[in-house]
Amino acid sequence: MVLNPSPGRRRTRAAVLAAATTLGLLLAGCGGSGFDDTGGAASSGADSGPKELQVLIGSSGQAETTAVTQAAQAWGTSSGTKVTVTAASDLDQQLSQGFASSQPPDVFYVGSDVVASYAANGSLAAYGADLPDTDDFYPNLRSAFTVDGTFYCAPKDFSTLALIVDEQAWAAAGLTDADVPTTWDQLASVAGRLTTGGRTGLVTSSEYQRLGAFMAEAGGSLVTDGKATADSAQNVEALRYVKGLLSAGSMRFAADVGAGDGTEALGTGKAAMTIEGNWAVGGIASSYPDLRYRVLELPAGPAGKGTLSFTNCWGIAADSGDQDQAKALVASLTSTDQQLAFTQAFGVMPSVASAADGFRRQFPDQAAFLAGADYAKTVPNQAGVSDVVKDLNAQLEGLAAGDPAEILGRTQTNLEAALKG
Amino acid sequence: MSRTAPDTVARAAPRPSPRATRRLPVGGLVAHAVLVVLAVVYVFPFLIQVANAFKTDGDATADPLDLLPLPGTTAAFTTLFTQLDFPRAAMNSAVVAVAVTLGRVFFDCLAGYALARLPFRGRGIVFAGFVAVIAVPPVVLLIPKFLVLNQLGIYDSYAGMIVPLMADAGGVFIMKSFFESVPRSVEEASYLDGAGTFRTFWSVVLPMARPAVVTITILSFQASWNELSHFVVSRSSPDLDTLTTLVATLTSGGAFGQANQYPLKLAAAALMTIPVAVLFFVFQRQVMAGTEGAVKE
Amino acid sequence: MSSDVATATRTPTSSRTARPSPHGRRQARAGWVFTAPALLLVLLFVGLPVVMAVWVSVSGWRGRGSPFASGVPFVGLDNYRTLLAGGGLPTQDLGTALRNNFWYVVLVVPLQTVVALLLAVAVNRRTLRGRGFFRTAFYFPSVTSSVAIVVVFLFLFSASGAVNQVIGVLGIDGPNWFADPRGVLHVLLGALGVGESPGALADHGFIGISWWEWLAGPSVAMSALILLAVFTTSGTFMLLFLAGLQNISAEVEEAALVDGASSFQRLRHVTVPMLRPVLFTVLTLGLVGTWQVFDQIYAGTQGGPAKTTITPAYLSYTTSFVDQRWGQGAAIAFILFAIIVVLTLVQRAVLRGDRT
Repeated sequence: MVLNPSPGRRRTRAAVLAAATTLGLLLAGCGGSGFDDTGGAASSGADSGPKELQVLIGSSGQAETTAVTQAAQAWGTSSGTKVTVTAASDLDQQLSQGFASSQPPDVFYVGSDVVASYAANGSLAAYGADLPDTDDFYPNLRSAFTVDGTFYCAPKDFSTLALIVDEQAWAAAGLTDADVPTTWDQLASVAGRLTTGGRTGLVTSSEYQRLGAFMAEAGGSLVTDGKATADSAQNVEALRYVKGLLSAGSMRFAADVGAGDGTEALGTGKAAMTIEGNWAVGGIASSYPDLRYRVLELPAGPAGKGTLSFTNCWGIAADSGDQDQAKALVASLTSTDQQLAFTQAFGVMPSVASAADGFRRQFPDQAAFLAGADYAKTVPNQAGVSDVVKDLNAQLEGLAAGDPAEILGRTQTNLEAALKG
Repeated sequence: MSRTAPDTVARAAPRPSPRATRRLPVGGLVAHAVLVVLAVVYVFPFLIQVANAFKTDGDATADPLDLLPLPGTTAAFTTLFTQLDFPRAAMNSAVVAVAVTLGRVFFDCLAGYALARLPFRGRGIVFAGFVAVIAVPPVVLLIPKFLVLNQLGIYDSYAGMIVPLMADAGGVFIMKSFFESVPRSVEEASYLDGAGTFRTFWSVVLPMARPAVVTITILSFQASWNELSHFVVSRSSPDLDTLTTLVATLTSGGAFGQANQYPLKLAAAALMTIPVAVLFFVFQRQVMAGTEGAVKE
Repeated sequence: MSSDVATATRTPTSSRTARPSPHGRRQARAGWVFTAPALLLVLLFVGLPVVMAVWVSVSGWRGRGSPFASGVPFVGLDNYRTLLAGGGLPTQDLGTALRNNFWYVVLVVPLQTVVALLLAVAVNRRTLRGRGFFRTAFYFPSVTSSVAIVVVFLFLFSASGAVNQVIGVLGIDGPNWFADPRGVLHVLLGALGVGESPGALADHGFIGISWWEWLAGPSVAMSALILLAVFTTSGTFMLLFLAGLQNISAEVEEAALVDGASSFQRLRHVTVPMLRPVLFTVLTLGLVGTWQVFDQIYAGTQGGPAKTTITPAYLSYTTSFVDQRWGQGAAIAFILFAIIVVLTLVQRAVLRGDRT
């Protein structure tokens, strides 16, 4: 081998090489912002250069992502701010990472079930009072996002649950308009008639976010006036009714028929009816465009009509570098016309009362969803409730073989603990 | 692997008792059949995977056991490349895997050589440090690695994905034990010729360790290509998606995660397995020999 | 410049402790420089994280900004207390996770060890042709990513999937594997007539869930994951056993043959005892690995159905990254760490003490 005649140089070269490597590692890590972070966010500061906003959404599908992106970028062009919209693969996880790293997105979806916990750790900016038209939002939506008396964020839309029926299956079973179910008994019999070899009459997800509609129809709810009422007789009655349908075979859970949710079961012909919300309209349009369906109000239970409503808001990060621009973006996205455009794109309902007439005019076949708004119950938004609901959902998966009273009893215990602490 | 086979058989032939000879062939046949069945069971899932990647959603659900879809459809693959950012994820996986492998191998060889051959005060402590590190189960590191990446400011970046994976105490031990088996005379000769430590290491000792180096190269590439949990915690923007996180998104629901879209998921999983499979088949012997050694450490 | 080999071998090699020669000093410096990168990486990404995790688990960090910022309170063992003795939802979830993982470990470790051993013995036989093919076939699943395999298994074990079709040929109506939360033991007990839990078992519990729940066994969904684990790890351990088998001296094997031992007796009384060190390694690795199962849950079942595939590792992740209860998540990770350490020590003691 050829040897370099000066070992000194060799040794130095080696040391330099190794040192450089180590240094390179340190430099790679050298973006450290110190321990006391006061919200220096990735998005640009108020004065420097072109402004930029990051928007993170939990999209229900391609239709929603496209619609939001277009709307945001249209606003961005007119206001001179660059807006990037990203659809999260796991919204909760990515938000959590964003808050922990002090680099959250500027604007993001916040569900009514998590607003309390985000507000509690200071991640949310409370800008509700700064909005131009607070009174236009429906009152129950405003209260869903009011924590400890502060109105945190603007509701972006809302949905209610309704009964979605496959018209072809309906006709094939010989049913007519007169057979539209308006009571629980009628629902049971119609579901039975619609159940054939390959198709189940009624298929829904097994979660509280669907079965809770029955609880509302029986007159019960998880939380009443801040107190836990999960194990009320009404709730037990509702779950007993559902269990009855499951035993009769006229109802099955989506997972048991191999579908991800009710919409998929309906679209793939595994179900004749399903209970889903407005988002199903967009989902069916994009994945199952040939499906002919009707939207009906859910049948009334022992206590009358009932359904659940869901809503998300546009959260603005407390660590956001440009809250004024963010608020302007949100104001634009919650304007009456923009919301009606969103309805057109992916089927949610506007959160502002001024859009109600426009909605009824433009989307008459979705009137059942809007009708539900009058008697809908929301998922409780107190801190800690969402974990209890998750646990309830896990138990509901076994409803077919389980005992409703036991399930709700356990939920009651957990709820009491959550509401107390 | 069959070094002693011919000798032993020849030696054993004249000796076994008549009882044993009569029993062996029948038992052997049954065992052989069972083995073949097991091998089929192990290979079958992959055959099904590839076959169903070329079917439509409906066909895959209706008839999963059909191994020859005729005519097949490449719809799943088209969706992967047009609607999901598969190429980008593949590129990210490749970049990260290559960078991690290069870094890991280089640092492991350096450290392994130093622990084996270079006397320095504190060598024992350093060695103990590496041992302690191996004892920490990765699950404990899931959360705090994310926090460390935050503090260093490299969260959600290539650096955050690459640099932590270069930390590997196991490879250090493999190289250390290999270097210990290199005769000192070779090094001494090199020093006498005036070579420096690094030169000795790089040009003399390392080439002799080629089998071990090849092994840890392959194993490092495999480990970083297949890594999931680290990429989950170290990044969140979709630009930095790797193949593992992309496939994980497909299975956990969302726009493309519908329960029925099996061909899409199977196609993605099949494509992401190809590079490691190719490497495996090419370097079979080293990989398998190295695994035994690696795991023993 | 001649490389005089004779000279080299004559010179006493002393890479032992500090000789004041330039050679020794140079080597000492090089020693530090060479180990620095690997050491630094390991300290930074293993050592430091552990320290941070310890702090987070005893702090009341809310998940915003740095956990080392000045406002973060110290809460002592509150997180641990809530998890282990609180009785609320966090305790129940931890209990469920531990129960699920316990059954996973109890089934996977013996199964994968036995399967790997049998495969190794079978592949090692001298009369086998195509040994390379078999070794490759059994080892290949270990090469693939856990995510990719999970995808395949989700497909194979779906309600109308390949597995159900195959066992349907045998007349058995397969369950909807990944959607079936029933505990296997409960199903068996139900078949034997024990449908409801006896009062005593239902009334008392451990870490938030009743003894009856602990005895549910793995759920049907978890069983599919158990099969997945055996499928992917038996190949790796087979290689270890193969290496061990080849170390068994050939004479020993022949001696047993001559003595007229059947192959099974040979296996039990000669081979396995001589494989003790390898067995030890395989069991240790199996224990440590199975208690940390995460990837398959994250990519495959996300803890469902009905929380029967939640494991402590996954629970630690969701508690921190999704629910933003970082302190609790870190505490769960350390509880798991403790379990693994204790089990490893117990296993060492048991197997070492047994040595004749």
